[in-house]
Amino acid sequence: MRTSEAVSRSAVGIGPDRSILEAAEIMERAGVGALAVVDDDRLVGIVTDRDLVRRGIARRVPVEGRIDSIMTAPVVTIDADAELEDCFPLFRTHGIRRLPVVRGERFVGMISIDDLLLRLAGQLADLSRPVAAELLFAHRDSPVPMTT
Amino acid sequence: MRAKVGDRIVIRGHRVGEPERDCEVLEVRGPDGAPPYVVRWGDDGHVALFFPGSDATVEPYEHHEART
Repeated sequence: MRTSEAVSRSAVGIGPDRSILEAAEIMERAGVGALAVVDDDRLVGIVTDRDLVRRGIARRVPVEGRIDSIMTAPVVTIDADAELEDCFPLFRTHGIRRLPVVRGERFVGMISIDDLLLRLAGQLADLSRPVAAELLFAHRDSPVPMTT
Repeated sequence: MRAKVGDRIVIRGHRVGEPERDCEVLEVRGPDGAPPYVVRWGDDGHVALFFPGSDATVEPYEHHEART
């Protein structure tokens, strides 16, 4: 599966010249924990609710300040046509929880560790179901073929 | 995903009991109806730059002829 096909949650963007306060309001209204910072649809950074706290509030940055002053940039990204499994080493190596998916420089969507874990948990449940059924219930052996 | 101005995009909830949300497409930024879209949310009317995922579906806006 390609990463672009695995983007399960819609994402919201914000311009780099918008304020920290606007970013917080958009996160609250949209119910997301991260925003893509895009300049003419080109991804220039991402900002998370954690960034707002650690780089903004904790450092007493005015909420009127530009969001690009506290965003993470440059950003680790993955190509929209890459295989989903290619995300795993990026999450592991860079210690990140969200990975923007891009096509060229254009932002396409966001993949999070949470989404991947939910997907994998579902796949594991599908795999384990027949095994669990065998352990919990009596075997239904197929009849021995008749021979002459 | 392909959408045009006036279409409605519905985003399903991700948690148990979380209601779906919807927004109206105000502007199409991608080529040939592709994302991103500038949208207006139905619940509070705020405008945002939206990148749909697989949780989003498009309901086309249907133009109705005015009765004379």
